[in-house]
Amino acid sequence: MLKLFLWLRYLRKRKIVFLSIAAVALSVSLLIVVASLFTGFIDAYERIAVEFMGDVVLQPPKKFSNYPQFIERLERLEAVDTATAILTAHGVLYLGKGNVCAVSIHGIDAAGAVKVTNFKNSLLEQKDLPGEPSFVVASDADAIGAFLGIAAIKEPDEQTDEYDFNDAKEMLGKQIVLTTGSVTEQKGSPSDDSGPRFIRKVMKLKVADVVFTGFYDIDKNYFFVPIEELQKTLYPDIEEPLAEIVQIKLSRGANAESALVQIRGVWQAFVDDYLGGDPYLKGYAEIVTSVEMQSRYTAEIRKQMGLLLVIFGVVSGSVVVLVFCIFYMIVTTKRKDIAIIKSCGTGSGAVAWIFIGFGVCVGIIGSGIGVVLGCVITKNINIIEGWIRIAFGLKLWKSSVYLFSKIPNEINWLWAVPIVLIAIAAAAVGTLVPAIVAAWTKPVEILRYE
Amino acid sequence: MYKLILATRYLLKRRMTYFAVLAVALCVFIVVVVMTVMTGLVGDFKEKNHRFAGDCVVASESLVGFAYYEDFVKKLEGSEFVDSVSEVIKSYALLSPRGRDVSRGVEIMGVDPVKHSRATGFGDTLYYRKNDVSKAFVPSYDVNLPGCVLGIDLALQRDSNSRYAYDSSPGHVGFAVSCFPLTARGALVLGTAPVNTKTFYYSDHSQSGLARVDDSLIYLPFDEAQALCGMDGGAKRINAIHIKFKSDVKLGVGCDEVRRLWELFKGEKADESQAYLLDAVTVQSWLVHRRSLIAAMEKEETMMGAMFGFVGIVVVFIVLVVFYMLISHKSKDIGVLRSVGASSIDIIELFAGFAAMVGLIGSCFGVLGGWQFLLRINKIEGWLFERFGYQVWDRTMFAIGDIPSKISPKVLAVIVVSAVAACLIGALVPSWQAVRLKPVETLQVNQL
Repeated sequence: MLKLFLWLRYLRKRKIVFLSIAAVALSVSLLIVVASLFTGFIDAYERIAVEFMGDVVLQPPKKFSNYPQFIERLERLEAVDTATAILTAHGVLYLGKGNVCAVSIHGIDAAGAVKVTNFKNSLLEQKDLPGEPSFVVASDADAIGAFLGIAAIKEPDEQTDEYDFNDAKEMLGKQIVLTTGSVTEQKGSPSDDSGPRFIRKVMKLKVADVVFTGFYDIDKNYFFVPIEELQKTLYPDIEEPLAEIVQIKLSRGANAESALVQIRGVWQAFVDDYLGGDPYLKGYAEIVTSVEMQSRYTAEIRKQMGLLLVIFGVVSGSVVVLVFCIFYMIVTTKRKDIAIIKSCGTGSGAVAWIFIGFGVCVGIIGSGIGVVLGCVITKNINIIEGWIRIAFGLKLWKSSVYLFSKIPNEINWLWAVPIVLIAIAAAAVGTLVPAIVAAWTKPVEILRYE
Repeated sequence: MYKLILATRYLLKRRMTYFAVLAVALCVFIVVVVMTVMTGLVGDFKEKNHRFAGDCVVASESLVGFAYYEDFVKKLEGSEFVDSVSEVIKSYALLSPRGRDVSRGVEIMGVDPVKHSRATGFGDTLYYRKNDVSKAFVPSYDVNLPGCVLGIDLALQRDSNSRYAYDSSPGHVGFAVSCFPLTARGALVLGTAPVNTKTFYYSDHSQSGLARVDDSLIYLPFDEAQALCGMDGGAKRINAIHIKFKSDVKLGVGCDEVRRLWELFKGEKADESQAYLLDAVTVQSWLVHRRSLIAAMEKEETMMGAMFGFVGIVVVFIVLVVFYMLISHKSKDIGVLRSVGASSIDIIELFAGFAAMVGLIGSCFGVLGGWQFLLRINKIEGWLFERFGYQVWDRTMFAIGDIPSKISPKVLAVIVVSAVAACLIGALVPSWQAVRLKPVETLQVNQL
């Protein structure tokens, strides 16, 4: 009770204590914002990987045929919900007068892709329509349809970083020309003109829908066409369906590790049965979760986050010094109080605890304010960024640089909790020396008349 | 004089001030290290962009390009302020290594290697033909084949230390380059196939140090690129002119002069059939031309500075507390000073001087520590990598060589001035309290 009374009294009378609360709050909020933004970015990156690629990705070292049989076998597994195949290529796209861009072509089965990924929600026109999306062009049922990324049509506004969706929708039904190609002659040496040659292929397509995922790399560089049409264009002589990647959605609650083992088993049996047991396909097929596929990049971002937190953490270490100074001042100016308390029978340890406890209180109050401040800033980071743009004309976040259209604004409590605990501990550490000084106070010296 | 003596005395006798010095030193140390690295990275990136673009770029926003450029180039070459000029073709193409069933979309730049090396830093980025850029597009294994210069990341792999596996000569590899020839109206050329393809052979690689350039750009001979893009028929077209100014010409002045010349030129060509293409042309300094890339890094630098500014508030608080304590303990000194005629301004000057000393001494320690750390930063990183496999930046992912460690005097000055200013702000309220102390009260017998 005495402790509580003294804490409240010091807090009321010694306004300077509020400085240490403010310092703790400032440091805690900064660290929470930094940690939340970084982990939000990493989470969003991993989430888009799952949404765009499914849970597991199988990527053999070369294209393989008869993928429907493989998918059928996969779907028999309990751990696998569904799967879809992709054929990829690169190309250059002619979109209209003077508008040419390089794209990564994904030959997909639209109906299959939406079962594995969140692809349908990315289609501007078809996302709200019932049923499965398709490549059928509304204005020309005979045309080969394609899905075009929104940023390939037009970059987002320089000032607001927002896309003009009406402009993008105007592309629907318009003809575009795609140049791609494949190597079809496999004779002679690479250096010899009679050797394997790249055969250019041109596809005339119409825009069936526009893709907007909010992830700049996909919206800018990816171009989706029907898998069978892409195969017909690139490999007209091959009749069996070809694929290069298989995206797999796991059943709800399936264990990823055991699913990977089962999928590898199915793959090896499939290669034996349909692909002549090709050891290259068996041994070098990469079967990983989509999150794991991004792990190199996300590990690098995590490392940058750790580095930044260490830097700000070290600078925030000044809070310890600040708390020490303030408490030392309180102890030196309140020596008579301390002497009276001790003369009433309070032990040295109890006196020390008054100050350490007060330091902990400062840490708790400061951290509490810091957490609230950190949450408010993180949750409203996109609004704050907008204000900065309006006030200073400075667009801090651009999807072309930071990949996402919006700043991830989820608070990471896994980081917030240790930050708060460390802040409270730091405040307590700052009070240690003043608490010891207080404990060593001798009432007989302080309270004597002369 | 007494102000200096008293300030020095307080600094030496009051150990509490050591904490203020320590806090300032710690913050200055961290800020010096982080901002030196960041400024170094930004400066390096800007310099690489400058070398890539030259001083000034006259470019069309459309891939269609613009015509009548020969006349404008003559004008530029005849002007006193221009050192060299390079005409450039820019477009997108599909690049396919011969014999491999892989291809990828890349950006192509058609250049005259000698002219482009004079206007930009292109020649210095070459590896095999660095000393004879005129042969940049001549493969050493067969001088009769048309050559191409690949961005280094298209040609070579990097190891974990960002080192490339160089060969003594370029490999005999051909690349089919396919691109759309566009008419002056931007449409596809009709009549023949809608795409032009030609095979070029790897003659050299270019390492600009810019990730997006080294990873997705190939240089082709100017005439070949012009033909591939369909810009060689009728009134020939190009996409850009890169200009280098003479060394005594300031960037802004040079760009203004080019702009003036361009407006005159546009007026002269107003009656030509393809004059409308000239309206899409802009004259920009390299800084503006590469703005979208540079701005992102500059903003990150600004944000980092702002965050350190927030954390720096803690230093202000520490100084405030230390001074508050000092003044509450030294009220009698202040009373004596006031009673012998020291004015309020003198008291403020005394504590402001003391605060400045705290800031300066803390800054000196911080700068010294930061400087010593930066001298060893690459060694420390090397040691961490050898021992624990830790690198600040994964060099296989980022086009960064050594960590920048050269302290910029400008950055240093800003940090030290900010530290001293933080101390002065921290000392402001306690100094004001000191001024308000009344000698008659502080020197009363019952207060002694």
